[in-house]
Amino acid sequence: MKAELEAIKTEALQALKEIETLDALESLRITYFGRRGKLTDVMKGMGKLSKEERPAMGKLSNEVRATLTEAFEDLTEKLQSQQREQQLETEAIDITLPGRKPAYGKAHPVMQIMERIEAIFGQMGFEVVTGPDVETEYYNFDALNTPSDHPARDLHDTFYLTDGHLLRTHTSPVQIRTMENQQPPVRIIVPGKCYRVDYDVSHTPMFHQVEGLLVDKHATFSELKGILTSFARQMFGDQTQMRFRPHYFPFTEPSAEVDISCAVCQGKGCRSCGNTGWVEILGAGAVDPAVFEAVNYDPDEVTGFAFGMGVERIANLQFSIPDIRTFYENDLRFLRQF
Amino acid sequence: MNVTLNWLKTYIDFEFSPSELSDRLTMLGVEVETIKQLGTGLEGVVVGKVTDVRPHPNADKLVLCQVEVGEAEPLQIVCGAPNVRESMFAPVATIGATLPIGLTIKSAKLRGEVSHGMLCSEKELGFSEDAAGLMELPTDISLGTPLREALGLDDVMFELEVTPNRPDCLSLIGVAREIRAETGNPLKLPAVDLEESETDIGGLTSVTIDAPDLCPRYAARMIQGVKVAESPAWLQQRLESVGVGVINNIVDVTNFVLMEYGQPLHAFDYHKLAENRIVVRRAADGEALTTLDEVARELTTDMLVIADAEKPVALAGIMGGYDSEITETTCDVLLESAYFNPSSVRATAKALGVGTEASYRFERGADPGAVLAALDRAAQLIAELAGGTVCEGTVDVYPGQQPLREIQLRPNRVNFILGIELEATEMEQILSRLGFDVEASGDTYQVTVPTFRSDITREIDLIEEIARVYGYDNIPTTLPKGDIPVPAPDPKVEVRKSVKRFLLAAGMMEAINYSFCDPNCFEKIRLASDSPLRDALPLQNPLSPEMSVLRTSLIPGLLENTQHNRNHQINTIALFEIGGVFVREGDQKEPERIAGVLAGQIGDGIYGNPYRNPDFFDIKGLVEGMLETCGITKYTLQKTDVPTFHPGRNAAVLLAETQVGTFGEVHPEVLENYDLPYKAYLFELDLEALVDAAVFAKHFEPIPIYPKVERDLAIVVDKAVLSDMPTERIYKTGGEWVESVRLFDVYEGEQVPEGKKSLAYTIVYHSATETLTDKAVNALHERVVKHLHQELGAELRM
Ligand SMILES: [Zn+2]
Repeated sequence: MKAELEAIKTEALQALKEIETLDALESLRITYFGRRGKLTDVMKGMGKLSKEERPAMGKLSNEVRATLTEAFEDLTEKLQSQQREQQLETEAIDITLPGRKPAYGKAHPVMQIMERIEAIFGQMGFEVVTGPDVETEYYNFDALNTPSDHPARDLHDTFYLTDGHLLRTHTSPVQIRTMENQQPPVRIIVPGKCYRVDYDVSHTPMFHQVEGLLVDKHATFSELKGILTSFARQMFGDQTQMRFRPHYFPFTEPSAEVDISCAVCQGKGCRSCGNTGWVEILGAGAVDPAVFEAVNYDPDEVTGFAFGMGVERIANLQFSIPDIRTFYENDLRFLRQF
Repeated sequence: MNVTLNWLKTYIDFEFSPSELSDRLTMLGVEVETIKQLGTGLEGVVVGKVTDVRPHPNADKLVLCQVEVGEAEPLQIVCGAPNVRESMFAPVATIGATLPIGLTIKSAKLRGEVSHGMLCSEKELGFSEDAAGLMELPTDISLGTPLREALGLDDVMFELEVTPNRPDCLSLIGVAREIRAETGNPLKLPAVDLEESETDIGGLTSVTIDAPDLCPRYAARMIQGVKVAESPAWLQQRLESVGVGVINNIVDVTNFVLMEYGQPLHAFDYHKLAENRIVVRRAADGEALTTLDEVARELTTDMLVIADAEKPVALAGIMGGYDSEITETTCDVLLESAYFNPSSVRATAKALGVGTEASYRFERGADPGAVLAALDRAAQLIAELAGGTVCEGTVDVYPGQQPLREIQLRPNRVNFILGIELEATEMEQILSRLGFDVEASGDTYQVTVPTFRSDITREIDLIEEIARVYGYDNIPTTLPKGDIPVPAPDPKVEVRKSVKRFLLAAGMMEAINYSFCDPNCFEKIRLASDSPLRDALPLQNPLSPEMSVLRTSLIPGLLENTQHNRNHQINTIALFEIGGVFVREGDQKEPERIAGVLAGQIGDGIYGNPYRNPDFFDIKGLVEGMLETCGITKYTLQKTDVPTFHPGRNAAVLLAETQVGTFGEVHPEVLENYDLPYKAYLFELDLEALVDAAVFAKHFEPIPIYPKVERDLAIVVDKAVLSDMPTERIYKTGGEWVESVRLFDVYEGEQVPEGKKSLAYTIVYHSATETLTDKAVNALHERVVKHLHQELGAELRM
């Protein structure tokens, strides 16, 4: 019997070496371990053994069984992993086939810039306030120290409605509306649409501005420089240089136009900055006392500053769109680019 | 306003290079827009003297000239100009020169004779169209001098942008004053040393001002016996260098002095003035005047005119009259120098639609103090250049003389406003250099404003002057002191943001359209004739009929965008816009709307994600999603009769009882009106109403711990039964155990009787407090089926 067991073991191990598929393995398993398998048959013969022989043979048969079981299991595992690998190989796909992209939209480029400006000033505590597009002469001009015979009115080519109202030419009327309804301190920005009778590659009859106003007991021109410098560095990069040039606006004094260093040439001078190295981005100044008087603030008690910028202009510093009317055609080939 | 470097240097010394000067002026607030080098293209052209003229042996019309150009040997030049003669001075283009007309001079043989250069006409040098003969040069220039130098063309022109508050900078002397503020160097004003004749002006003319409110000052001088001719070269060059056209010596002088002092002058032909006198008055009703530009102008009684004894002869401060202008026959000149009321000049110029160099200055504010200086300067120049004698004396009627303005300046206020620490004495220096008279009185200064600074009326104006001369660059950069306020959240901003975020995530692109639209668009979208949306606010001065009224809806704009894109072969159209519309009535005259369009196809049309056509339920999903993102769950939908939509495929959104928007499939006729070959779907909602209904407060609901039980239910009902009717009843019957009801199939056709349809729902049963048994769910489900049968005649579909 011992010899029989040894023979089975040798034979089975030999047979396993030839097995290449799980199916063959299974039938081999049945050949040895099945109900009529060779090993099972030998085991069945155990009963015929003498009492003395039984423990040794039992031990031996268990050893053979364990050895074979392990060999079968090892091979099963090996064949299974081979089979999976083969299957994965057949499942390979052409990864260059197109992906299924969920649709996603994009905000209008002008809105993207406007939202960025709002966010920067929002961090500095400026509240977003809006006002009507249809305005009166009073709010758009008179209260802003621009009476009807003032030459500065020539700078604004105004759309009038037939009922005497007008389309605001800047967002500045909201300064007045806010101060009429609120006591200082005031810290607001006013994004919105403005209108001027102008239609060419660099002008659209409707455009967007963001206006800012800060009024407090002691707001200084140096703080105006500080706020705008901080804005420009965040908006255009921390290497941005600033230049404040004296200018004139009826509703601020002292007034300034603010330039940033040209991003194209780093201030060396190039075509896009007219060889000056500077690009104008906004107008600003200390609130004119006449404006405070118009809203019943006492110019001896409060000071303030205001600033305003054209959103399309700032957008176009980044985008360099040759004809800015393109912004409002809403051509999807254009909108998709931003 | 244009100035040149050399011309400026006649009024003040400075050492700045052109680009330095440009920077300095710009940083003073007089922005230099362009810098232009004059006289380019004249390299190699020198002054020459013709020393010998002999006939050309082989050509009748040519001559052989010897021309001295300051070198050892004269040049032989072949010339065909009719005016060439011995001893004349003329420009010589030497070998290698390239003329402004593009001609490069080479050594050449003309009809067998060598020519070493070219004698030039004005046309060949690009100065004028005059090609009739050689340009004649003054004979006191040394030979060989570069022509650019000889003609004073070695100069740089600056184009200045002068802001409306600085009329004083509309003159060379005004700009020189700015340079004085920068450098502290003294001004060199033109020396005026008039030689007057014995004829007293008082005996020749008189000036009467009938409207002193509009003409505070009017002065005149007489120059007799002038000869009107072309101006000398230096004067022509000066004017041309700043882009002023030349006319004749009299008018050129007035323009020269205008540029110099900023004081507009006008020269009348004395003998064309009725009674040879001047009356400054408002125009009479029905009066007219033909101005220099030969336009006959109807005048109104609020317009100021310069008249003679009978009729207007000039529009005060704007333009002279045609009949009294200087002509070749003029011999006696009456020269006007006046100060007119800025508003009056501005109103008249605007009413008549004319603008001149004179009106530009008067309407911004000329310098009443410069009236006499400019008048004397011009009179002297006319006498010098046109001959003639200046009569003795000046007529100077000055009813509006004002004392000089005085302003109190508090130095600590200057520092307070600017955020600097400047010494009071430095402020004093700055103001003095700007021409202000400054007197200390205690802690403050008493500042007297010169007449040329009409813009300075208040302390803040002086503060600005100090700031700009001190230099904005020298003002420190600080951040505001005090707390940063925390603005309260604005629900409108929240709604706008949420809705926009949702639409972008849904693949919609944001559009922005003009606030104006074409009034025809209301017809194109089939609005009812009595629709309030047709009542759009018209513009008085629209750019075009297509932009002539303010929009009352966002829909026409989006349909136009759809048409534009489709015309450019873009057929996957998903656009939205958030923006104001304009209505006449109500408290909210500019309500904010949100609208969107889906048209053409959806998807990207690639393998695995093919195109499909959008339908009603895509647009409905967008609307429902927007409402959901605003936390609005209690709304109803209801069919409407909005004519823009397909009558059977549209809905209104109602919050409580109020309609807040509509959506649906676009009516085929509207599609045709916008040339759309495929269906389009639109929505438009009132953003303000969403703001009122939005709920952004979030609260936590426990996550279910007991298992849910799903049951499918297919029923057959009449076609007229709407899909949400069973849904509603399932919820009602099922009570709190029904967690959700999902319609997953709708079927009509075979296996379903005529006039009926099959609806299939998944009902999710769930209890928050116990595990539902099959038995309990079955009982409830049966009750649901029973109620559906009783109330809607629903039969279970097997
Ligand atoms: Zn540049």
